[in-house]
Amino acid sequence: MATYDLTPRIAPNLDRHLVFPLLEFLQERQLYPDEQILKAKIELLNKTNMVDYAMDIHKSLYHTDDVPQDMIDRRLEVVARLKALEDGAAPLVTFLQNPNAVQELRADKQYNLQMLNDRYQIGPDQIEALYQYAKFQFECGNYSGAADYLYQYRALCTNSERSLSALWGKLAAEILMQNWDIALEELNRLKEIIDSKSFSSPLNQVQSRIWLMHWSLFIFFNHDNGRTQIIDLFNQDKYLNAIQTSAPHLLRYLATAFIVNKRRRPQFKEFIKVIQQDQCSYKDPITEFLACVYVNYEFDGAQKKMKECEEVILNDPFLGKRVEEGNFSTVPLKDEFLENARLFIFETYCRIHQRIEMRVLFEKLNLNYEDGERWIVNLIRNSKLDAKIDSDTGTVIMEPNQPNVYEQLIDHTKALQGRTYKLVGQLLEHAQAQPAR
Amino acid sequence: MSSSNHKALNAMKQKLKKNNKQYEELINKYRENPESEEEKFEEEEEEEDEDESGSELEDPSQIPESSDEDDEGEELDDDAGDGAWEKKLSKKEKLMDREFKKDPSEITWDTVNKKFKEVMAARGRKGTGKFEQVEQLTFLTKVAKTPAQKLEILFSVISAQFDVNPGLSGHMPINVWKKCVQNMLVILDILVQYPNIVVDDMVEPDENETQKGADHDGTIRVWGNLVAFLERIDNEFFKSLQCIDPHTREYVERLRDEPLFLVVAQNVQEYLERIGDLKSAAKVALRRVELVYYKPQEVYDAMRKLAELSGDGEKDGDETKVEEARGPSSFVVTPEVVSRKPTFPDNSRALMDILVTLIYKSGDERTKALAMLCDIYHHALFDEFSIARDLLLMSHLQDNIQHMDVSTQILFNRAMAQVGLCAFRVGLIAEGHGCLSELYSGGRVKELLAQGVSQNRYHEKTPEQERLERRRQMPYHMHINLELLEAVHLISAMLLEVPNMAANSLDAKRKVISKTFRRLLELSERQTFTGPPENVRDHVMAATRALCKGDFQKALDVINSLDVWKLLRNRESVLEMLKAKIKEEALRTYLFTYCSSYDTVSLDQLTKMFDLSDAQVHSMVSKMLVNEELHASWDQPTRCIVFHDVEYSRLQALAFQLTEKLSILAESNERAVEARIGGGGLDLPLRRRDNQEYAPGTGGGGRWPDVSYNQGRQGGSGRTAYSGGGRPMALGQASRDRSSGQSRGTGGYSGRSGSGMRGSQMDASARMVSLNRGVRG
Repeated sequence: MATYDLTPRIAPNLDRHLVFPLLEFLQERQLYPDEQILKAKIELLNKTNMVDYAMDIHKSLYHTDDVPQDMIDRRLEVVARLKALEDGAAPLVTFLQNPNAVQELRADKQYNLQMLNDRYQIGPDQIEALYQYAKFQFECGNYSGAADYLYQYRALCTNSERSLSALWGKLAAEILMQNWDIALEELNRLKEIIDSKSFSSPLNQVQSRIWLMHWSLFIFFNHDNGRTQIIDLFNQDKYLNAIQTSAPHLLRYLATAFIVNKRRRPQFKEFIKVIQQDQCSYKDPITEFLACVYVNYEFDGAQKKMKECEEVILNDPFLGKRVEEGNFSTVPLKDEFLENARLFIFETYCRIHQRIEMRVLFEKLNLNYEDGERWIVNLIRNSKLDAKIDSDTGTVIMEPNQPNVYEQLIDHTKALQGRTYKLVGQLLEHAQAQPAR
Repeated sequence: MSSSNHKALNAMKQKLKKNNKQYEELINKYRENPESEEEKFEEEEEEEDEDESGSELEDPSQIPESSDEDDEGEELDDDAGDGAWEKKLSKKEKLMDREFKKDPSEITWDTVNKKFKEVMAARGRKGTGKFEQVEQLTFLTKVAKTPAQKLEILFSVISAQFDVNPGLSGHMPINVWKKCVQNMLVILDILVQYPNIVVDDMVEPDENETQKGADHDGTIRVWGNLVAFLERIDNEFFKSLQCIDPHTREYVERLRDEPLFLVVAQNVQEYLERIGDLKSAAKVALRRVELVYYKPQEVYDAMRKLAELSGDGEKDGDETKVEEARGPSSFVVTPEVVSRKPTFPDNSRALMDILVTLIYKSGDERTKALAMLCDIYHHALFDEFSIARDLLLMSHLQDNIQHMDVSTQILFNRAMAQVGLCAFRVGLIAEGHGCLSELYSGGRVKELLAQGVSQNRYHEKTPEQERLERRRQMPYHMHINLELLEAVHLISAMLLEVPNMAANSLDAKRKVISKTFRRLLELSERQTFTGPPENVRDHVMAATRALCKGDFQKALDVINSLDVWKLLRNRESVLEMLKAKIKEEALRTYLFTYCSSYDTVSLDQLTKMFDLSDAQVHSMVSKMLVNEELHASWDQPTRCIVFHDVEYSRLQALAFQLTEKLSILAESNERAVEARIGGGGLDLPLRRRDNQEYAPGTGGGGRWPDVSYNQGRQGGSGRTAYSGGGRPMALGQASRDRSSGQSRGTGGYSGRSGSGMRGSQMDASARMVSLNRGVRG
């Protein structure tokens, strides 16, 4: 089932450190051989400073206690560099650790810089050192430290480019620490900057958006409110364009969010068009499911796709998040997805039928008769469905809904009055203005 | 000059004058209209010259030889080729020849330079023969002392060769063109061999810059512009193809010269890239792209093979040329450094990709736009519809194409046509129609694609315009087959329009997808007798008549009998696709047309009738039900469609009509008031148009909160209002709007609605325009 795995397409758009959770997940699901994943991990770690971790993985990969010399060398180097950076940033760090001193800072950046320079001899060099130090901390895997320093750095930094990259760093750190609320805040901040900043080329802007969307997946599928927010973000024209041009695989997440959302959204129809258009550039069972239900009206096909979707969700690092409940581990999103998908099929099916045999219907929905009948009765009772059950023949009969002619007429003419009224108002206004001339 | 020679020259001059007097009329005629008789005349003149010199002097070929002997056997080889070549030298040339040969050791940079200046000064003057000048200069290149000087003179040779062709409409003689290409290659040889020589057209170089020898270190600047020359050569090539009758052998011969040009272009581009002038390299790359983009893989392969073959053949040509050059001493011998053979990747896509990437990186705006269009065309040619569409949409070329120059617009039209064909081939009928319908809306396809001049009854063209137009024509081998294009356009219009007509049979004018198609259909219906179909149009009309009745088999047969299909590469699959589409549309048409006669229809009957599978029919019908095109629903246990007939009583129908008329009235009132008091009338149609395009999105907001209903439900009336202001404006700029309308005609949805909109505008425009004027006046 590795065919629908998106990790290779997602990973290039993530920070090195953000790829680890994905690899962990894949290891757990055993989609790929263990060895391969461990090798990938070492590869990832080689460019970071988390040498100890790399050593551990090396040991478990080759089942030895020996560690290659270059790793040991690298470790020494890293420690030395850490020391140097720590010294460089020391004055500022001590200042920031002193709560009394920090209180002297004000909202005004210029003032702060001036004050630091005058009273503590902390100049731009030290502030720059703080940035480097924070970066190094992040590379070493000390995310909380990095997040703190980056926060402080942003308060003092005047260079907007640097500030932006500090923000990216902060976001990554928060995601890795799983502080979803804070991460969401940072995300929004970053989004605003990306949207408002003038980029040297539109290409860079699109790239930034793509990154942002990839990173946001961590947040949205973990945050309580994430599933509505992912639609808000991804479905904006600019972002949707970016998805369509450069990262169509993100459609999977947007599609899932649309399906899982209880509330039908007005944008849904537009989204179906997007799916239809992009079928040639990207498809997986989830988007195909939507295409079956809303484009081709193939209900048998939809049902087949639904089964495949289950597999896909379980194997997706973002969608297949597990929740442990006692001895069971469930994937809440999967159940929700299936339930809603069933509703989707049923809704559409009912719209075009006037009489449906229940047995066939339940087959299509993967339900047994008893459950199905209860389900339908509930729908009818909650007045979601305008229908009656004929238990004699075992069918559901839809109530025809003909628009009332009079209602239609009233609808048509209602607006006219207002318009004419306004028109006359305009005319009078004009007429009054005329004599004055 | 010796006295005897001098005397001979004078005698010759006299004689020539006398002789010319006889032909004065002819000469004058020639001067008036040089291109027509140019070559013939030139030859005549040469012959005369020879005749005379033959009678006057001894055998002309002996002169140089004898002088050679005087000069103690210079480095001249007296082989036969040499003699033959000498024979063609004009009188003056020979003199110069002698002048230099007399004392080769005395030839210095100064003498050559002086002579060069002298010849150049004569340029453009009355009485200076253009061929003569070329030959003089060619000779000078052989005696040039330094590479830089040789280069300088070569540049002049090429300019002089360009001068040979007077006027803009004619093309350069082909042999001159070929020599020109060879000269270009020699220039490149020199430039590559001596990297310290820099070609520049910005600064006026120092007088004696070219005096610096080959061993001079430091840069030597020579005036010249490689790109301009190359573009000129390309233009001449293009022009010659325009002029030559495409059905002759000559045309084919001419086409075989294409690799020659590609070699030069490739070398120039490589050289420019090496010296880091990427902007110019991009321009050259564009020229190469323009030669490749329209070639399908088969043609491309043929060109590759030809290039390989002619590479060998060319060598012979080169050898003779080298011999020639060996003749009267080349002081600066230039070995062939640059390759004389073009290299092509196996795949034309690969070549396009390389060139286009270079252009996108470093070309200027126009170059980029042109390259983009070529790229789109090429993708479309290879059935890559989605890529072509994305490129087209992302580049936003449609939005500002009307502000670009005419040739770009033509290329745009060509690309659109090709994208339309491509969409059709891959089975996207609506998209294809969207691309093509604009092209056909004015009935000026030929003109829009620059594939011929279309006569217009109402609009006389001035000779100036006609000449301009003729200069823009595409050479025959680049044409898009118009019959195929028409067939594709009409068939896609048929597939869209027939069910549409059936669905809206009661109010025929409401929703028109293809105005052109409707008009043709009306015309053919008006005929008393319908004979068997002859041209494309008749075929499609016959198919339409069958399809209207839901008779898909007959429609299919008629369409299949078109012989344009043999132009398609993947003919089988396209026809297969067409068959499926026709079946589907026949089903839809049948349901629309006869739904009122049925109470229920069973699925099995439909599948049998239209030879479709259960699932297909079910999916098609379901789609119609969901879109509320058909008022019916499935009865699942019995597998039937049950129709819910909504019959309005007469009173109700009239009431609906009344409300519609009321809203039209309100609309025109609003317009009237707006024209009177609200700011200028012009922004109104614009806003309307916006409103329409994004009807669901923006209709609610803005100044007219209640228009949205009108637009949504009853587009027709809303549109008529808009057309009052919008249309005349468009007509006013008819000459400029060659492709302006096309901007909206692409992507699936917009294409469909766009064309529908256009159609309805036309119908009502007359009425609304007069109304509008009354108000304003």
